[in-house]
Amino acid sequence: MMRALFRRLAGAFLLLASVGLAAQQTEVVLSASSGAKLVLAVAPPVLSGIDQATADAQFTSVLQHDLDESGVFGLLKDKLPTATDPSSYGAWKDAGAQWLLLCKLTRAADGALQLDATAIDTTAGKAVFTKPYQADPRVPIRRLAHALSDDLVLQLTGVRGVASSRIVFVRQLHPGVKEIFQMDRDGANVLQLTHYGSLTLSPSVAQDGRLAFVTYKAGAPEIWGQRVKDGPKVRIYAAPGGMLVSSPAWSPDGRRLAFVQGDRRGNTDIMVLDLASGHVHRLTDGGGINTEPSWSPDGTQIAFTSDRDGGPQVFLMQSDGTNLRRLTTEGHYNASPAWSPSGAMIAYVSRFEGRFDLFIYKLGEGKAYQITNGVSTSESPAWSPDERRLVFASDRMGSMQLFTTDLSGVHVERLSPLTNCQSPAWTRAR
Amino acid sequence: MRTSRIIPIATLALLMGTVACKKPAPAPTGPSQAEIDAANAKKAAEEAAAQKAAEEAAAKKAAEEAAAQKAAAEEAAQKAAAAEAAFNAAAEKALVNIHFDYNKSDIKEGDRAILQGIADFMKQFPQAKIQIQGNCDERGTVEYNLALGNRRADAALAYLKTLGVAGDRMSTISFGKEKPLCTEHNEACWSKNRRDEFHLQ
Repeated sequence: MMRALFRRLAGAFLLLASVGLAAQQTEVVLSASSGAKLVLAVAPPVLSGIDQATADAQFTSVLQHDLDESGVFGLLKDKLPTATDPSSYGAWKDAGAQWLLLCKLTRAADGALQLDATAIDTTAGKAVFTKPYQADPRVPIRRLAHALSDDLVLQLTGVRGVASSRIVFVRQLHPGVKEIFQMDRDGANVLQLTHYGSLTLSPSVAQDGRLAFVTYKAGAPEIWGQRVKDGPKVRIYAAPGGMLVSSPAWSPDGRRLAFVQGDRRGNTDIMVLDLASGHVHRLTDGGGINTEPSWSPDGTQIAFTSDRDGGPQVFLMQSDGTNLRRLTTEGHYNASPAWSPSGAMIAYVSRFEGRFDLFIYKLGEGKAYQITNGVSTSESPAWSPDERRLVFASDRMGSMQLFTTDLSGVHVERLSPLTNCQSPAWTRAR
Repeated sequence: MRTSRIIPIATLALLMGTVACKKPAPAPTGPSQAEIDAANAKKAAEEAAAQKAAEEAAAKKAAEEAAAQKAAAEEAAQKAAAAEAAFNAAAEKALVNIHFDYNKSDIKEGDRAILQGIADFMKQFPQAKIQIQGNCDERGTVEYNLALGNRRADAALAYLKTLGVAGDRMSTISFGKEKPLCTEHNEACWSKNRRDEFHLQ
């Protein structure tokens, strides 16, 4: 297998998403220095109605963390000038800042929040970004930091950042008891979404935020989830005779759910449920294991794992089950395909020397690139909405925890210290 | 104050006695009134005694019957408990895990005796129903292992059918790698986790 370490072309951040992909498809190995990023300095925010410690903890440090994790900004933190008036911009430039971010954060008497943010291009001495934000008193301050970070990334790259996004995942509470959780992209605000006291697995999040998952709460596994946005969690599908169902995956249009059903003869097949009609259509042919469906972003194709040729390999087919072809050709265990948001890449896991690592298959090139470099097991890759990173589960620090990595595999970050986690999904919609 | 209440009651008693004395006197022939009264009293006493004896006999009989019923019930309960204990003991003896090679679902040669034991148990106890639970080791993906666990459960189901166990007495479920018996990261542990469990339903 082509195991060349793929590195994102440094400087790709300057390009729009559509061409950013083309940049990523060029193999250029550069050192991952902050020189490849736009250097930004965040001036201490001007505060009113908020104390310094609160602002530091809930705004400034959150914003810095978000910008750092965006991968497109390098943060200047040392030897910052103290003045922020226009005559000081040259000093900020001399200190190394390409952009200077000025924030004014105000809590009104009624508790409402106001943030006024301006980014100055220190070379031109002009504002490149100005935006006011208002929030009602119930909104945590950190949300404003996430919104600002996402807008700055949008301003710089043309694609909104993902600081406001969330990760939905599975966590084991006791042996045999797993529930669905979600947390913010920075690991904050962990929220338990199911309370079934049973095995609950395999969350999928629709474009509009609706959940689907598998739960064993009635004994046999069933697909549960939300038929309407923000609606109650209800049973969506149970196989006749309590046969296996697993691996639900929302279609991009949110009208269909691909899933997997067993047949009591050892086979598992990819099925598609049309939610409006309740009609279920089988896509694979009952030969062996077929599982882990992942839709192409235009909904015309499905990637999946099948052992029809022996061990598990990644296959593609049209979403009506035709035009089946095998994608992965090397290695004895390739599985867990995840189609990228642009459609150009498929992330998957591959076993190599007894360990599982993340790989990316670039459809345009017909080549696979190794992302993680295994001292441990890495599982269940899922794409960030901006296609810059993957979230995955790994036991590299002992227990299974959630990590993110950039597409070079160089910048791996732990998402949360929570243990016993698996099966992450990354969404803007919750 | 007391005397004033007693006086009217005494007066009423005297008046009633006077009324009784005004009944006509009985005919002088036959047994005297005293003899009749005595005979009646004797008869009444005999009847009461007979009644009492009958009641005592009935009570004794009822008690005996209740005791017999209780003894029978106890015997039945003991028999049922013994049968259940025998069933449970047989189930515990028969329903032993079988194991699989990595990423395989073939029934191993050495596990055929276990499956024959399960089939024998199912024949001996026609009321028994079992659930076959397929499990995997930690290696590989969550979903692929759910499918593999399903295939392992179905493999045992198919084998037990060939041994004559009716399909409607068995159900299958896969827990993939979600319910390991052992959580260490070595082959000794993995080989324990690659298993089918058989549970009474």
